[in-house]
Amino acid sequence: MPGTPAGRWAVPPDGTPPETSPVITGCGLAVSGLRDEYDLLEPTATGAEHDPDAGRAGPGMRHKDRASRLALHAVRRALAGAALPDPAATAVVVSSNFGNLDTVCDFTDTIAAETVTGLSPIRVPHMSSNVTAGWVALEHSLRGPNITLCSGTTSGLDAVFWAATLLAAGRAEAAVVVGVEPDTAPVARLHREHGARSWLDGAACLIVEKPEHARARGVRPRAVITGYGRAARRDDAVRQATKAYDRPLGLWVAPGPGGLDLTARLGRCSGALGVLQCAAAAARFDRSADDAVQAVAGDEHTGARTEGDPGGVAALLLTRPESGHPGGDRHDIRV
Amino acid sequence: MTWDIVGMGAVSCLADEPRAIHEALCRGESGVAPLRAFDRAAFRVQNAYEIDDRAVPGRDEPGRASRWLRAAVAAALADAGLADAGPADAGPADAADTDGDPGGSRFGGIADIPVLVGTTLRESRSAELWWRDGSELRPADLHFARIMRDAFGTVRTHTVASACAASLYALGMATDLIALGAAETVVVAGTDSLTESAFGGLDRVQHPAPRSVRPFDRDRRGMVMGEGAVAVVVRRAGTHHRPAHARVRGVAMNCDATHPTVPDPASVTSAVREAHRRAAIRPEDVDLVVVHGSGTHHNDVVESRVLGEVFGPVRPGPLVTSIKSGLGHTCGGSGLMSLVVAVLALQSGVLPPITDLRRPIPEARDLRLVAGGPALGDFTTAQIHAIGLGGINAVAVVGKAT
Repeated sequence: MPGTPAGRWAVPPDGTPPETSPVITGCGLAVSGLRDEYDLLEPTATGAEHDPDAGRAGPGMRHKDRASRLALHAVRRALAGAALPDPAATAVVVSSNFGNLDTVCDFTDTIAAETVTGLSPIRVPHMSSNVTAGWVALEHSLRGPNITLCSGTTSGLDAVFWAATLLAAGRAEAAVVVGVEPDTAPVARLHREHGARSWLDGAACLIVEKPEHARARGVRPRAVITGYGRAARRDDAVRQATKAYDRPLGLWVAPGPGGLDLTARLGRCSGALGVLQCAAAAARFDRSADDAVQAVAGDEHTGARTEGDPGGVAALLLTRPESGHPGGDRHDIRV
Repeated sequence: MTWDIVGMGAVSCLADEPRAIHEALCRGESGVAPLRAFDRAAFRVQNAYEIDDRAVPGRDEPGRASRWLRAAVAAALADAGLADAGPADAGPADAADTDGDPGGSRFGGIADIPVLVGTTLRESRSAELWWRDGSELRPADLHFARIMRDAFGTVRTHTVASACAASLYALGMATDLIALGAAETVVVAGTDSLTESAFGGLDRVQHPAPRSVRPFDRDRRGMVMGEGAVAVVVRRAGTHHRPAHARVRGVAMNCDATHPTVPDPASVTSAVREAHRRAAIRPEDVDLVVVHGSGTHHNDVVESRVLGEVFGPVRPGPLVTSIKSGLGHTCGGSGLMSLVVAVLALQSGVLPPITDLRRPIPEARDLRLVAGGPALGDFTTAQIHAIGLGGINAVAVVGKAT
């Protein structure tokens, strides 16, 4: 319907009461040089360089593709050792544009050199674009809807929107949202051929749940997912996302000058960008008095900038929870 | 709440529009043929259900999944009366976009319509040709935003890669958008072309090599990939200016979380029951089931058990068919392709048989499998299954338009 933002989930026409909007209650990162989401706010890296995929031979990691290992690390950190109370009612939403590209390319090389008999049967599931979402569900017995999005640079913010939509539609009580992009040989070649000098090798995870679900299990809401928009132009996407919000915006987390530009620091983040942006927003509410963070991903100019993505621009408005207060504890959980 | 299906389009190895596909399936035709996409010497599986549309026979080319998607979506929009004719011939988005929405004029008013594309493999074939043969690939060529923006002006394309349940997942997501008031109209689609990595991977784990898909037959050997695209236009019930083809009653989606490749009957059963609950129907209301029916050892046994569990006490129980013996396993689009065939069965009263089903598996002895020729009847309610790698399931219930 023209004029209706395709991206908002305001259920009744009079608007969704804020307390029913889904909340982010957990964040986990597996990114070199970053200890946790608070490091996303620092203009210079503070954490020691480390391989985000360290422990690849650890429990549950052997024989998995790199994207899935990174994602599993991020999910373990986000859950911080706590199991979700109702795995049957927990959805998984993964955003990744290049997660299985190495398996796809490796397989064609192997077939050319050795025919199909050279392929490893263990790696066969890795050729599917949804392999990571499958492993995340399997490791934590998550039986709700299991969605993989590969929609370009908007994909990470889209993933948070779809998680919120699944909750609003009564399909789940909670969702594990992951953005992951591994640095593999084909990914590096693709980025280099298209003007990039650096790109992410890592994953981010958010736990998104209904506020009453968070209350019932005694976890602290860290950010409220308040609005979403998707449009050809950035202004229009932001307008859709902020339609029901009239207070001042605090931080902008967006590519380009004038806000927190995670791609300036981490390189192209592709499908992981939006998820990292939301983690940064959750950290920001703990470290400032801002009431809102506006996350923007995607490119309104489909030519040279960023990844030349024609999928338009996605905008997600995150707001401070009612009960929120600055100064949340830094969690140093290491898995 | 229900949703109207107001437009349909499809491209497959058998035909390039839904009614012709339905009729070919009713005649028991199969699109299986010797493998053309790749060097046959490198594979044990020698057949596939391909769309034979390459410019130079035997030489594969990038972008085929995108091309069929565009054709299927254009046909669905035209069928819905939302477009005059075939795809708009817009230039590349790079050239068209400086401000405002490019394209879209010929499809006036559809630039705001979300397009949800279900796909297992995206444009992975384009990536393979780039990696090995040096064709061009841009990062955004892996998904379907560009082709949808160029052809229809929409910037609300979501590429949903939930394996072979993807297009029915996309349908479920579309019904949620409409139910929540975030959209009035959604285009739901599916597309996949053969990739060497997926075709080879399946080949590697299937012994002996299957020659065709033989759902529910004792002589089945497994899954053979097919190619195709499919699209439907879904609207809030009663809001369209033309009669609907059928009504979506409810879509369930879940995940087994038990095994990466072997489906779990309890979880598939729970998806079926949830679909019935969402559709507000009882098992005895279901006239026909278009199963996933991929012809693998595990799949067909699991689906037989699920149907036995859900419909066990119901006499005579629904008719059961699979379209994969005719079209192959069209991966991400397969669930929606099954749904389109189910809709045409509701409209025509003719349900295609499982092509080439001769000796049903013992687990299916109580099922009313359609074999030998089409089944005729006054059908009002259909159930459609899609089961994907990673244990993901989607079940849709559609009803005759009233």
